[in-house]
Amino acid sequence: MNRYPLLMTALSILTLSGCVSHPQTAEEFRKVVPGAFSGKVETFEVDRPFSQVAGTFQKMGPNCLSKTIKTTSQTNMSYQVIVTTYKPTVLVTGKKAELHVQFHHEQGVIAVSKEPVGGYYLLVADAQPVTASKTRIDLYRPSMGHGVLIQAVKNWATGENVGCPDLTK
Amino acid sequence: MPGSDEVTPSTSVDGMRNRRCIHRVAIMAFWIFTAGLLAGCFGVKPYPNTLDKNLHVQSFTESGSWFSRVRTAVDIHRVGKDCAIDYEGTVQLTEPTTDIGIQPDRWSHLVFVFASSSFWANRSGTITYETLLKPRPHYHYAVAVRYKNDLYHVAIRETPPNRSTGREIEPLALSACRSSSGQK
Repeated sequence: MNRYPLLMTALSILTLSGCVSHPQTAEEFRKVVPGAFSGKVETFEVDRPFSQVAGTFQKMGPNCLSKTIKTTSQTNMSYQVIVTTYKPTVLVTGKKAELHVQFHHEQGVIAVSKEPVGGYYLLVADAQPVTASKTRIDLYRPSMGHGVLIQAVKNWATGENVGCPDLTK
Repeated sequence: MPGSDEVTPSTSVDGMRNRRCIHRVAIMAFWIFTAGLLAGCFGVKPYPNTLDKNLHVQSFTESGSWFSRVRTAVDIHRVGKDCAIDYEGTVQLTEPTTDIGIQPDRWSHLVFVFASSSFWANRSGTITYETLLKPRPHYHYAVAVRYKNDLYHVAIRETPPNRSTGREIEPLALSACRSSSGQK
């Protein structure tokens, strides 16, 4: 089987995807995710006052996500080291709390498109009060992978099993 | 010669004993050298842990998979003037409870390390939880370290002497020390 055409197609897709710009702001990310193949919007309500959810985002976001992670993977044929820096941003006003998570590959992955300041957007979580004791969460997230991060952010919203995600997973 | 009959076997037995002894010493030396070399290579130095125990660590680690393993440890660094850190050693948190003695009235930088490795994917990674701590004399510090289902949590509770309840201490980044010393 001639693999050359397959390789060229893969390279072309990669090159074309490099031409498509990534969202440069959290607002652009919110607009792009609903129509993206690898993105998903999840909306749910939690039985928790808005102030508590916002407080958890403020506490856990910087503590858990301001990290530089090094992972190594090895097969018989290859040895790969990836160094990734995560950057959380928490913005809180009286009626909305936002958690933005960005990432930047320091080593091991080549950036194929223009990267926003602070890194590519990975996840955005918006919390807004519904009633005095209920809060609505809009989660703009990847549809594949990063399950640990997504679960951790959901837990921060619900207040159950609050912990930091192991970003090496 | 009767004498030589007696001497020869005796020399032979002594020689065998000596050879066994040399062999044992060589094996022991090899393992000590190897352990030293490995410790040196990986940069893991056991923390002396000779001070009065004021840090009581309760740890629970569960990787959540048959094919992966998580190792938990705490690296202890002395924080000097200008916030320069000096690695003092590591305590492996292999037991459910571990008592550690940290120098009171002096800043220390504690780095809780969760090192995971997957046999299936041949993949490894390390994530850390770091905080500055300046233990007060005679105070006790209860540290809960938990890793379960890829989520980790570290909580430090400070309790005054002769009290049963205390307060939870928020993590303090090393950058806070650097920024405060820079302002001075």
